[in-house]
Amino acid sequence: MAGQDAIGWRQRPGFYVGMMLASFGAIAGLKLSGAIPAPIGFILLAGAMLWMIPLVRTGMEKQKRCGVLSPAVVRYNRRFMLASFGYMLGLGLAVWLNDRFDLAGVVAFAVALLPVIPTLGMVWTMARYLVEEEDEYLRHRAMIANLVGLGAVLSAGCFYGFLETFELVPHVPGWWAVPIWAIGMGAGQCWMALRNRERTEG
Amino acid sequence: MKNRLKVLRAERDWTQGDLAERLDISRQSINAIETGRYDPSLPLAFKIADLFGLAIEEIFSKGE
Repeated sequence: MAGQDAIGWRQRPGFYVGMMLASFGAIAGLKLSGAIPAPIGFILLAGAMLWMIPLVRTGMEKQKRCGVLSPAVVRYNRRFMLASFGYMLGLGLAVWLNDRFDLAGVVAFAVALLPVIPTLGMVWTMARYLVEEEDEYLRHRAMIANLVGLGAVLSAGCFYGFLETFELVPHVPGWWAVPIWAIGMGAGQCWMALRNRERTEG
Repeated sequence: MKNRLKVLRAERDWTQGDLAERLDISRQSINAIETGRYDPSLPLAFKIADLFGLAIEEIFSKGE
């Protein structure tokens, strides 16, 4: 498609996904090697989250070009970005508090909620999208993607759980369910985009 | 399900975007329906039929 060929790499959401993942990888490498302390790592991670802004902007431009930018999608993107920033903030704060104080009881419960609440915000955002999306085909696609995400969580959780029961793998915290759900949803969307690569027109 | 959406649209010299705008749905929805990747709900099928001034069975029919 000629229009898309003319789009520079700075207008492609994939570039910002790559930059964000590369930033996360570099920060994780620095932290694991002991080159930076945890607070600096968190500050850098929070900074790397800023890639979300051009990612969402270019993503919405691409959705507009592909004819899939409904008002509900705009609201979904905005809410999901806010929830992602909230998650990074809550996670960083919770880890920082846990490292410095001997948390227990109600206080530990409240601190654990800091990253959980934005995560629930992400689930709520998806639920609201399914309610608010008036375009039935876009809603259908979102539901398929959600089912792929759910399948990924169930499959990975069950498989890994049994491996853990038989002491073949180390314990993994349950919060991994959310990233696996998100990865599954993304994979579902990519699979549909590849399968349905449309013959654009007009 | 088969449909004559592309033909009907071409007869009116409408792009997918034009049709999408008239039906208040996304262009990708039109593309998915035209290429048979998605069968519209009954309310949307009625809306399409109303727009073209035809009965649903004059636009959609059984078959791959």
